Amino acid sequence: MQRIPIKMAAAGMKLAREAATPEGQVLCGPGTELSADLIQRLEKQGVMILTVEGHPVKMPGELSLAERLRELDRRFSKVAGDPVLKALKNLIAEYWIVQEKGEDYLQELKKRISS
Amino acid sequence: MTQLTPQEIRSRLKDIQSLPTLPPIVSRLNEMVADQNITATKLGEVIEKDQVLTSKLLKMVNSSFFGFPQRIGTVSNALVLLGFNVIKTLIVTSSIFEVMQAADVGLFKHSLGTATAAGIIARRKGIKNPEEISTAGLIHDLGKIVVRAEFPELYQKIIDSTRENEVAIQQVELEVLGMNHEEIGGIVARQWNLPDRLTVALEYHHRPDKASDFAQVAAIIHFSDILVTAVGFGDGGDPWVPALSHTAWEQIKFSRQEMKEILEELDEKLVELENFTMDIREKE
Repeated sequence: MQRIPIKMAAAGMKLAREAATPEGQVLCGPGTELSADLIQRLEKQGVMILTVEGHPVKMPGELSLAERLRELDRRFSKVAGDPVLKALKNLIAEYWIVQEKGEDYLQELKKRISS
Repeated sequence: MTQLTPQEIRSRLKDIQSLPTLPPIVSRLNEMVADQNITATKLGEVIEKDQVLTSKLLKMVNSSFFGFPQRIGTVSNALVLLGFNVIKTLIVTSSIFEVMQAADVGLFKHSLGTATAAGIIARRKGIKNPEEISTAGLIHDLGKIVVRAEFPELYQKIIDSTRENEVAIQQVELEVLGMNHEEIGGIVARQWNLPDRLTVALEYHHRPDKASDFAQVAAIIHFSDILVTAVGFGDGGDPWVPALSHTAWEQIKFSRQEMKEILEELDEKLVELENFTMDIREKE
């Protein structure tokens, strides 16, 4: 799933989470397919961010998952010996993988690594 | 370029020329706060006479790093909800942040991100007035911002050397300036009479175990800085995750599950911050 500014939403995308106003008022639930009309109505109600299924929008300057993981490794290169930070790095990597590919993919990946 | 000694840098910092001057309203507010009977409404009224400042303040207090569920519409409401320390710090630093958001969006985003992470952690730790901790996060790299504004050539030299030699920025700062951004930030924050809790946190964010009375706040800012650098939001001058103080970690440590929740919460807020910074830049 991906969180996107409503300005980048397009018809055909599916909500992964409920759409809500900044005040927390829920307007429609997960699974709703967006139409141009619905996007316009949500925007009028003050909705600014939507969480949609998959990863349909490439943000300006956004890196691919593989590139992001490589950069993550590089950022941690000077603290590689620290067990707490190593755990933090792994947690961030897992979080990104689940966000983009889903939980099943991560479990499959873990199985492959351990075997 | 002539080499400046730490003494010369100190003396230049005492007489900062290129930094925007403090709004005259700050000394007026300080006088008013010294009066025990002053109310938030009266303070709010004084600030609201300055419309530009008011609109800047309201934009900041309503941005996602404070994470208030409802919109704050007036300065007196902001004073009641966030406290005088927060509002005063935002007023004092508003000009320099304005300069920075145009000149160095990476450092601006790093500051906003650290503020956001600090607020999330402070709330989880049940700390009173978490917005004050967010504000400490916002200004933790004041030293870098000041060097960038006051000694632009030296700042560029520091950044270039950091990239060329792949070393941490603090190390290069010591070589070039004879002191690091913690110390410089501290000098300026004290000169501006920023609240102690925030000043000490910025002075010790890389060695939080030395922060005596404010060790917990410093520990939160220390870890927030690490977290925001780790996820790659903004640019604090070098890309490397700073070393973790384990004494600080012992003070605030989280389980794996809690860390997962913090990451998720941070991620959500960072998307909103991305919008906030894009929005500000579009309006420039």
